[in-house]
Amino acid sequence: MKYNEFKQLVIAEAQRLGLSDYELYYSESSSTSASVFQHAIKDFDSSVGGGVSFRCLKDGHMGYASTEDLSAEEAARIVRAALDNAAVLETDEQEFLGEGGKSYQPITQKEITLPSAEALTKKALEAQEALYAADPLVIDGSATELVAMQSTLAIANSRGLDLFHENKAVVLFSAAVVSDGKELNDSYEIAFGALEELDLEKTARTAVSDAKNQLGADVAPTGAYPVVFAPKAMTGLLQAFSGVFSAENARKGLSRLKDREGERIAAEVFTLIDDPFYAESPAQMPFDAEGTPSFTKAVIEQGEFKTLLHNLKSAAAMGKQSTGNASKGSYSAPVGVSPFTLRVAPGTMSEEELLQKAGNGVYIDFLGGLHAGADPISGDFSLQSGGFMIENGKKTRAVKSFTVAGNFYELLQGVTAVADNVKFISFGSPTAFASPSVLVEGLSLAGK
Amino acid sequence: MIQRELCQRVLRRAASTGADYAELFAEHTVNHTVHMIDAKVDAVNDAVVAGVGIRVFKGLRSVSASTVDTSETGLMRCADAAAAALGEGTAEIDIVLHERSFGDVHPVQIVPSSVPNARKIAILKDAYFAASDYDEAISQVSGTLMDVDHKILIANSEGLYTQDRQIRTRLAITAIAEKNGETQTGTCSPGRRMGLEMFDSVINPQSVGREAARQAMVMASAGYCPAGVMPVAIGNGFGGVIFHEACGHSLEASSVALGMSEFSGKLGEKIANEKVTAIDDGTIPNAWGSINIDDEGTPSQRNVLIENGVLKSYMIDKMGGRRMNMAPTGSARRQSYAYTTTSRMTNTYIANGEDKNEDIIASMEYGLFAKAMGGGSVNPATGEFNFSVQEGYMVRNGKIAEPVRGASLVGKGSEIIQKIDMVGSDMDMGQGMCGSSSGSVPTNVGQPLIRVSSITVGGR
Repeated sequence: MKYNEFKQLVIAEAQRLGLSDYELYYSESSSTSASVFQHAIKDFDSSVGGGVSFRCLKDGHMGYASTEDLSAEEAARIVRAALDNAAVLETDEQEFLGEGGKSYQPITQKEITLPSAEALTKKALEAQEALYAADPLVIDGSATELVAMQSTLAIANSRGLDLFHENKAVVLFSAAVVSDGKELNDSYEIAFGALEELDLEKTARTAVSDAKNQLGADVAPTGAYPVVFAPKAMTGLLQAFSGVFSAENARKGLSRLKDREGERIAAEVFTLIDDPFYAESPAQMPFDAEGTPSFTKAVIEQGEFKTLLHNLKSAAAMGKQSTGNASKGSYSAPVGVSPFTLRVAPGTMSEEELLQKAGNGVYIDFLGGLHAGADPISGDFSLQSGGFMIENGKKTRAVKSFTVAGNFYELLQGVTAVADNVKFISFGSPTAFASPSVLVEGLSLAGK
Repeated sequence: MIQRELCQRVLRRAASTGADYAELFAEHTVNHTVHMIDAKVDAVNDAVVAGVGIRVFKGLRSVSASTVDTSETGLMRCADAAAAALGEGTAEIDIVLHERSFGDVHPVQIVPSSVPNARKIAILKDAYFAASDYDEAISQVSGTLMDVDHKILIANSEGLYTQDRQIRTRLAITAIAEKNGETQTGTCSPGRRMGLEMFDSVINPQSVGREAARQAMVMASAGYCPAGVMPVAIGNGFGGVIFHEACGHSLEASSVALGMSEFSGKLGEKIANEKVTAIDDGTIPNAWGSINIDDEGTPSQRNVLIENGVLKSYMIDKMGGRRMNMAPTGSARRQSYAYTTTSRMTNTYIANGEDKNEDIIASMEYGLFAKAMGGGSVNPATGEFNFSVQEGYMVRNGKIAEPVRGASLVGKGSEIIQKIDMVGSDMDMGQGMCGSSSGSVPTNVGQPLIRVSSITVGGR
């Protein structure tokens, strides 16, 4: 059955059981994707998915249950399951259902029209040819994936909240494999936008040159160096450690930033902003997962820690206002906290000037194993890296198969300069990142 | 879930534009989790995942479509989407389905969904408080007890119509120790393809809690691992992640078939040290990564990947098999109907060798003993991998010395498996969730204690 019909059944069941506080969170997504190997379509996929999460308050506890099966039996089951689940909870924290805001900031992203399957396939093939055309060293194994997707989110609750948001996006993923006959290397580049506006050549060139530049890379020498983190690497670090800015984590002792607002936690050149309306984002959001209006805020401003990120529950527990950062990892997950687009504000230097300032050091534009080699609780990281040596203020020979180690909290303090070359990078929902190149003093490298 | 006659009609529709293979995968999965933090149960969640994925092949082209609408109309629409995307031909195969049963070698005594929350909470608390009571320096503990009841149905144009039910249970405890303002984490997260009887027979919840706390305490008093190239001994159990990352992913058809693996075209060649025999075995009764049949309906099997250093087999799904002109190996897996199946690992391990554990440590003048490993990742095209050390110790003059934290290991798969030059005899397995293009699937990694003669250790 359709969602609206299902929703009415759930509400009827909730009312029949005498529930006064409940909410339905519905997420639906449809996507088509074409992927190319060599010069032909390898896989074509079209999928329609979605599910409903129901939550309700019973004796002060919030119970959850969710389903993808929109049937009458499931409508009754999720209400009962959420009640059962609420009954065994032990926390004494106050729980909330959102009431929304008086108004919501309009999003500025351009609405796009999703392409037909034929147009998508044709463009994917063209993008693949752009990869081959970018350089003679490009070999089979290079791959293109082009995805068109539409997602719908609806939140409705017993407090009168009734919100709806729809988003459409086209994403191009270009993965280049190059070989000089002796060695093979790969890299990728992602682009967003309306199908006709995607710059296939530029995306291909970036992926190919990143892969080619690493051919012949040597292992970096072991030692302590100034390190320039390129945008791809810096956004990777932000992704691994963005949880330290969550008020929920801070309250549970999983972040060192509890009660540190107003303190200097980073170098003065460092400003970090959470921006739900970031111009380049293909997924701007006017409200969070509790329906609170979202807004742009500094997390760190010129080194000073301004705020943790809150949802309604953490804000109430800590005597603050929600920062509109309630989130769900997936529709079925409980409400947590995350940023929208977490971005490092640009500095005034060009990247060349940043390299000059670094003098002799290492430029890192690849970090691997972020899910394993970065400990978000202690802040320690030790990560597989790739990039270039910096000699006399210039990028020189390529280096790889080394690790960079440090501590995220110390790194924030150790930033000595920020360039102006901001790049937006999305690893998928719910959070995206943007950063320019950032110079950090004295990190440990292990190589040869 | 879906009647045979309906499956047959849907498959015929999916193949109506000239597919030479058509497949329907349906699932109904119930995920149940109980979570604790701050010494209290703070979240209990039920989530039903249900839908259908349809796939058609024509030569080396694959088209897939998935839907949550499992009504006949919804299924036909999904089949039409797949058929339309494949092209404009006419039906070339006749599809007649016969039901088959492959049996179940993973008995479950206590189906978790039949047990009330209270009993699961009691188990979780047993583990939780064993961790939080371990030492005053344990500043926080979080714990999860999860169970999954994953019912699948596979029908394909080869006439197959079959079903399987995969029940898994896992307990995960994370403990944080705080000493002098420094925090360190310890984890223990065993799981099995079993029901709640797992806690009566093979897993003691309190031991799980204590192990997580012990590890956190050791690491909280550890200094940073020094950086450099050195010999490393890697402990049994989850230590097997080294083979999983350094070699296992590169033996999956998803990279081998496209020529995108450093082991493409090397069957029969010596690719590893002769001490290395490695196996992927999805048939181990009740093991976390086990399956009766894979997600294409091929029975699971024991695949010897490397025997005494010689490459013997890849892990192959149907499409990979087409590209490689080889038979599938029961290795096709997907997280759910919404993902497109590809070749994956099940329970993958380095088999016992003949070295004695004490000889392995004694052989190292200066090096690292990685007693417990964290996760890692690999780029199969270049073979470059990384993984983190959860609990490490320096080895000096053949003896285990002080604990060290923050170590990671990086290298190239094809080089590292040549350097595994000592293999002990205490093979054990650890549980993980492996992420790849077909989603996150449960896998075991395993090995006895091994020595890698030299590898880059990241530290500071």
